[in-house]
Amino acid sequence: MTHDDAGTAAVTTLVMLPLLLVVLAGALEFGALRAVAYRAAAAADLATVVAVNDQDQTVLERTGTLRLAAGAADAARDYFARNLDAMASALAVSVADIAASADIASFPAAPATDPRTGARYDRPTVRLIATVPVKTPGFAVLLLPAVTTITVRAASSPR
Amino acid sequence: MATLETILMVVILVPLLFAILEFGWLTQRWLAQDGVTLQAARYAGELGGDRPELRSYVQDQLRLVGIEPSRVVIEVEPAYVAWREPVRVSLNTEERIALPFLFATTVAVRSTAVARGEVNR
Repeated sequence: MTHDDAGTAAVTTLVMLPLLLVVLAGALEFGALRAVAYRAAAAADLATVVAVNDQDQTVLERTGTLRLAAGAADAARDYFARNLDAMASALAVSVADIAASADIASFPAAPATDPRTGARYDRPTVRLIATVPVKTPGFAVLLLPAVTTITVRAASSPR
Repeated sequence: MATLETILMVVILVPLLFAILEFGWLTQRWLAQDGVTLQAARYAGELGGDRPELRSYVQDQLRLVGIEPSRVVIEVEPAYVAWREPVRVSLNTEERIALPFLFATTVAVRSTAVARGEVNR
């Protein structure tokens, strides 16, 4: 290194450091967002599974066929909220609001066609679609929205 | 001067590199533990609460995802769940992360899932 170059690397590092930190913040935020999205999807899955595991006992005993209990959609909404609660601090709105606005449909008897998705269900099904606003302060540093909305979908049928 | 520059860059860049590695490792650990928790909650609902089979299942699943079971605290509430009542399973671990030149600390990794009792006693 010549006398003229002395300090060049240090200056370059210091100049590039803010850019490096911004990129790092974005990468970490994206990773955190992926983790929250995974957890929200898992909450939706578990909620629909819990809902379809409760069968109409009268119909089951009388005919031997599976038919969802009357409160299946309500049960899915309740358990969706319960399972989202663990990540409430990462969400931009309350868990109760997210669960209340979730589009949850119960198809107690099969076959049935979902009017929203067009999917055909050959067994009784509970379907859940929800939008989950997630706080993303790291994106705000990159001049991106401070809240990122993800959509989770789940559908479960009994076996 | 070159030595000074190298020291400066090492002090800045090494913690950054370790921050990325530690964050990724911690996230992977959390997701793995979370997956086990979800399955455990479902199983607790099927069994009707906190049973030896549940503990054994959780330990097996933790080993499969590379987590030492003895380091994980398992909580099941309530221990005896009635039909259609909620059962909550929580797994807690203390993980140590270290960023060279900056700090080392312990982070609590907590996973919780709620299912419903399926045993009609």
